Amino acid sequence: MLIRRTAFLAVVLTLLPIATQAQNTPAPKDAYLYFVWPQDGMKIKSPFWCRFGLRNMGVTHAGDNFANSGHHHLLIDVNAPLDPNEPIPQDKNHLHFGAGQTEAHIELPPGKHTLQLVLGDAGHYPFKPPVLSQKITVTIK
Amino acid sequence: MPGEIYHIRQGKDGSYPADGPPRRLATIVAADIAGYSRLMTIDEEGTHARVMRLRRELIEPTIAEHHGRFVKSTGDGFLAMFESPVEAVRCAIIIQQSMVGRNAALPRENWIQYRIGVNLGDVIVEPDDVYGDGVNIATRLEGIAQPGDLYISGGVYEQIKHKLVCGYQSLGDRQVKNITDPISVYRVLPDPAAVIKARPMPGLAVAVVLSVSVIASAAAATATWYFFVWQPKHLAALSEHAPAQTPNSTKPTSVAVPQTVPLTKPETRSSSATAPATPQVAITSPAQPSPIIEPEMVTLPGGKFAMGSNDDPSEKPIHQVDVKPFAISKFPITVHQWNQCVAANACANKATGKDDAPVTNVSWGDTQKFIEWISRITQKEYRLPSEAEWEYAARGGMQTKYWWGDQRLPGMANCNGCNEAYDATQPTKVGSFKPNPFGLYDMGGGVDQWVTDCWHKNYQGAPVDGSAWLDVDCSSHVIRSGSWKNDPSYVRPASRDHYDTNVRYPTHGFRVAQSL
Repeated sequence: MLIRRTAFLAVVLTLLPIATQAQNTPAPKDAYLYFVWPQDGMKIKSPFWCRFGLRNMGVTHAGDNFANSGHHHLLIDVNAPLDPNEPIPQDKNHLHFGAGQTEAHIELPPGKHTLQLVLGDAGHYPFKPPVLSQKITVTIK
Repeated sequence: MPGEIYHIRQGKDGSYPADGPPRRLATIVAADIAGYSRLMTIDEEGTHARVMRLRRELIEPTIAEHHGRFVKSTGDGFLAMFESPVEAVRCAIIIQQSMVGRNAALPRENWIQYRIGVNLGDVIVEPDDVYGDGVNIATRLEGIAQPGDLYISGGVYEQIKHKLVCGYQSLGDRQVKNITDPISVYRVLPDPAAVIKARPMPGLAVAVVLSVSVIASAAAATATWYFFVWQPKHLAALSEHAPAQTPNSTKPTSVAVPQTVPLTKPETRSSSATAPATPQVAITSPAQPSPIIEPEMVTLPGGKFAMGSNDDPSEKPIHQVDVKPFAISKFPITVHQWNQCVAANACANKATGKDDAPVTNVSWGDTQKFIEWISRITQKEYRLPSEAEWEYAARGGMQTKYWWGDQRLPGMANCNGCNEAYDATQPTKVGSFKPNPFGLYDMGGGVDQWVTDCWHKNYQGAPVDGSAWLDVDCSSHVIRSGSWKNDPSYVRPASRDHYDTNVRYPTHGFRVAQSL
């Protein structure tokens, strides 16, 4: 259902006018990005639903330039610091949720993993200041 | 008093209340398949099976999801009823867009395209059918819609115009058969930007196009159909010129498969990257002053290969795939080629960067617009490669980790860590690195490349005939090749990843393919 809904959202939202290549998009100071689930230190089974929380900002589709809104990126086992002047990378450790998803079905091998959320602007750049969640550690049973 | 309540949904033997059968206001969706009898002539059983499958996998679930009711099948189409006009139009859009995806991997003569009409009106509801002018108008709208199009009546438009972000092109008032008053008709364009380019074609031009094509074409029946289906939305001038063009003037270069291994000394380096100096087709049109640079295609013979690897869970299990012969573009589509589509108002976002750099920041949806345009303008059937075709082409007849062997080598691909020099800001121009044994450039590194397939997390249940693996509902498509920003493990021909279908990202590009 969720997938269908997001798919539909993707279809509809791409129809909106688009302007990308934004940089240094301002974010409100009180923006707060966090994991609804799982939480730091949890021992969980894989696959699991990872749920993203965001306060004082809105979630929108990548490509949309609405003020105070962005889209989620989930960083898995990423140690490199975030480059504020580059789009958030896209690879197997940087998952993108540009259709406005607020949760994801994640499959990870057993062991310890770090998870961190980063909010991206219309052009996938981090905001200024960057809107980041706490980096949490989970153990997959 | 309980006796006053009667069931709205009556059984066949149920008696109607004194004032006749139940009437109600409903949104009616009428759809039929364009050229159904032609499809049946080509392959009766196959077409029937496909239509039934579509009904089961796409039509009925999509209607149910939008709280509608599948009223009945009409042989080559269906009738559905909705409470809400918004849901009805959403449902119709999803069906039309899903069909684009499903058709993408097929040769054009096998495409199934629906024409859909939506009307809001008073209808008589029977258990197995609906009747009334409300239904007839929907059917008439469907009848005048172009294949792949969605026409709605003025009544529906008024209800949804501020609720659904789409383009609506007014086609004026139309007199339709057996309906006294003219009906105002709107064409729904999922992309609002498309409204500008869409202009109704004058009746005279249709006549010209049709007669020219009939005379000019030897294979009259098929060609005329192509024309009818593919031309009407576009400039009459172009259509008139099209038959004069020689579509086969650009023979793809043929490449022999090195069956064992040997690196058939390929062309050292492409000096001019976009370079298809020979295959150009000049198309005269006021909108297109410069000749269209067609993608340079390389024909690959079919063959069996082992798809996948054990390097990543997504690449398992390794499975044998039998690929049919096909052609694939020698380079990724360039900024210049993309911007010609933009200049023709057929693609939305103007690409930035050098002309001979690969186009980036395109979504899977964007690639479909380009393919539609280039197919139309060249009268050739372009499509994205399937995932299996992409990997087959990228391997170049090799089963090693990379097409050149199992070890990393500088000068082979553009990635972060592949070479000593590295520019993070942009991809190098196409053809900057060595081609693989099939003579294809940038199959690995450079830009991520969209393929036809929906994303599946591994190959459990994957097709083995080289066709694209599609789903009804596909919110994420496969990308291949890895980009200049990824590490060398992404350059492997087996490496695969995915991304939201309609989201653009600065490292995503594509190349095109053709069935033979």
